[in-house]
Amino acid sequence: MGVIPFRRTDQPVSQPSLWSLSKKLLRAVYRSYIFRVTVQGILTLWVVTTCTFYMIRKMPNNPIEVKIDEFQTKQNLTYEEARSKVAGLFDYDPDAPFIEQYTDYMGNLVQGDLGRSITTGRTPVSQQIAKYLPWTLFAVGLGLLISFVIGMIVGAAMAYWRGTVFDNVMTAFASISYGIPDFVIAFMILLIGGIQLELFQVGDYIGSVDPEIKAGLNPEYIRSLLQHVLLPVTTYVLASVGGWMLTMKSSTISTLGEDYITVAHARGLSQRRILFGYVGRNAMLPLMTRLAISVGFVLSGSIIIEYIFIYPGLGKYLFEMTGKRDYTTIQGIFLVTSAAVVISNILADLLYGVLDPRVRVGSK
Amino acid sequence: MGFLIAVATIPGLIIGILCGLVPLGIGLRYQQLSWGIVGLVLCALAGFSFSLIGGFILLVLTTAVVISYAFVDREDPFTSRASIEAVNFEESQLEFLMRQMAALGRTIRQSVRALIRNKAGFLGFLGILFFVGISVFGPLFVEYDGDTHVERLQPGARTLFQKPSSEFILGLDWKGRDIFSHMVHGGQNLIITSIEAGLIATLVAVVVGAMAAMIGGVVDQILSAIANFILTIPQFPLLLVLASILSFSNRFYLALLFAALSWPALMRAVRAQVLSLRERDYVQAAVALDLGLPHIIIREVLPNLMSYIVVNMIFSIRSAMYYIVGLVFLGLVPLEEPDWGVMIYVGRQQGAIFNSDGASMILSPVIAIALFQLSLILFTRSLEEVFNPRLRSGL
Repeated sequence: MGVIPFRRTDQPVSQPSLWSLSKKLLRAVYRSYIFRVTVQGILTLWVVTTCTFYMIRKMPNNPIEVKIDEFQTKQNLTYEEARSKVAGLFDYDPDAPFIEQYTDYMGNLVQGDLGRSITTGRTPVSQQIAKYLPWTLFAVGLGLLISFVIGMIVGAAMAYWRGTVFDNVMTAFASISYGIPDFVIAFMILLIGGIQLELFQVGDYIGSVDPEIKAGLNPEYIRSLLQHVLLPVTTYVLASVGGWMLTMKSSTISTLGEDYITVAHARGLSQRRILFGYVGRNAMLPLMTRLAISVGFVLSGSIIIEYIFIYPGLGKYLFEMTGKRDYTTIQGIFLVTSAAVVISNILADLLYGVLDPRVRVGSK
Repeated sequence: MGFLIAVATIPGLIIGILCGLVPLGIGLRYQQLSWGIVGLVLCALAGFSFSLIGGFILLVLTTAVVISYAFVDREDPFTSRASIEAVNFEESQLEFLMRQMAALGRTIRQSVRALIRNKAGFLGFLGILFFVGISVFGPLFVEYDGDTHVERLQPGARTLFQKPSSEFILGLDWKGRDIFSHMVHGGQNLIITSIEAGLIATLVAVVVGAMAAMIGGVVDQILSAIANFILTIPQFPLLLVLASILSFSNRFYLALLFAALSWPALMRAVRAQVLSLRERDYVQAAVALDLGLPHIIIREVLPNLMSYIVVNMIFSIRSAMYYIVGLVFLGLVPLEEPDWGVMIYVGRQQGAIFNSDGASMILSPVIAIALFQLSLILFTRSLEEVFNPRLRSGL
């Protein structure tokens, strides 16, 4: 005969323990969209950092060799002389084990420190990025904004008056703008507008702002700034406006065919209200996501365009630093640009939920 | 070298003519002489420019067209109107082949009609043909001018640059070389590398995307994660770094590198499409009929994806060209003359931008690239109609 275990029935069988509660909480957190996406984003950035860390150190030559080469050719030194000269300049040991370099870098990175630039006198990388980033942000951001707004308006107009001469002309223009690569436009502006037709003095419009003019909100500086940003922005706008126009046109056309537009017409709403309140808002939805995504790529900008116009942006700086093999700077720029893409992708997702209630309902 | 060869060669011409004998012979046999001759000419041209690959592809295509004119479907037991006893369901291998070829030929005829019908698309097609033709056949007529010509220095001029004149229709470059000859000889490498890059990228994207969607589960998650990861890194900076690691002695590796970086976008789209197609009624019906995976993929899923894939392939050729010219222009790829990208790079280095005599050295390749890319974009409109019959319902 076994002993029947005695069970007291005046107490609940199991009290929710702290463990199960926290488990529930964890599950709720894990299920929340923002948490998951953030973890994914951080993971992605970590992988990007690790990969680029490995890759850029695999590039032939290191910063010291590049500098030695430069000294050898410029000052006619022997290899040994150049080497001893360079050794004092740099705070970088190419013979340190890879793993050690990596853990050092990651340790600093976790504390928010991007390290110091190897080749440019040990300035912090974050400071360097802060110096070049605004230029790229300004030019590409302005270009994106202008082309988005123009694309929106003209694209909607093309859809509304589709089949007319206006539509045909604009579609042809959009195809050309969409089809031609941006550096082609840049060269055409420079060579045809600047050199052949002599519409403007090329020298005044390329390069960076005259260093003699004091930075600040004085009219001279603003004028010089706008002058130097004009050509890159024009190029960006011309190269990207066609894509926005075509997308907006097709989006508007599909919206115009929706039932609720017909109903709105039947209800006798004014033409203007239908256009702005019903068609425009709905047609813009898919474009807003694309806008948010392209904002992420603003930082990586266009290396080629900045290079052609000698514009002091992040892209041109990255190119120069790649040539000098400035590992920490390349690394920092890659991290910042990838982070921008990750964040803007998350924002695009969230934004879509906010703008379009149908998506929110559907996801539940 | 990659897998595409586009040089006009005499052996290629012979291969082409040999290939062309097949449609010609079949045309003679079935009294379709004119179409047989068209087939011969097309095969000879394709063989001449692309040797075995071009000759063989056109051999199949033109033979199919010739057969489609000669072959009448009356003998097909499945469409026959005779009573069930009178129909002969036995079909020899040859008859089966003929029926299939005739069907292919009819499809080709419809496609060509769709291609010509869309004016913008046809213009793009002609543009592509023009550039391919120039870089394939041009070298036969225009000799490459690779040496420095100091004797062409104009009196009073400080550089060897020269504006376009009647003797040199695109002017002279910084070494006094004929820019026109560089234009003719320099496009081939670029165009072929771009096409190879686009083809590989598309192939990888389609295979990986379809695999992810069909297998699902962990495989899908891993493949999608890789794709998302590559999409996060800004492409051109990455290409910049990678290009300096792998110094390319061979342009084909550049094409491979481009493909490795650019498949994810199309892969995600293909995956989404296959996922949605998988749930369609006709695919479900094919699954229920147990028609087998190859049949389902080739006959049910692929035709619906085809227009999408082909259009994206063109886009990817286009962006491959953009990236390759960009890399050459930044001086990250070993410079091999003659090449359009190298002309831009060297022209910039030698001050052609600020020298109005030398503008032609940069403008010529730049305009050629622009026109080629524009042709590609226009051509996609035709391709959409060719591969998506719903768009040409009015035909």
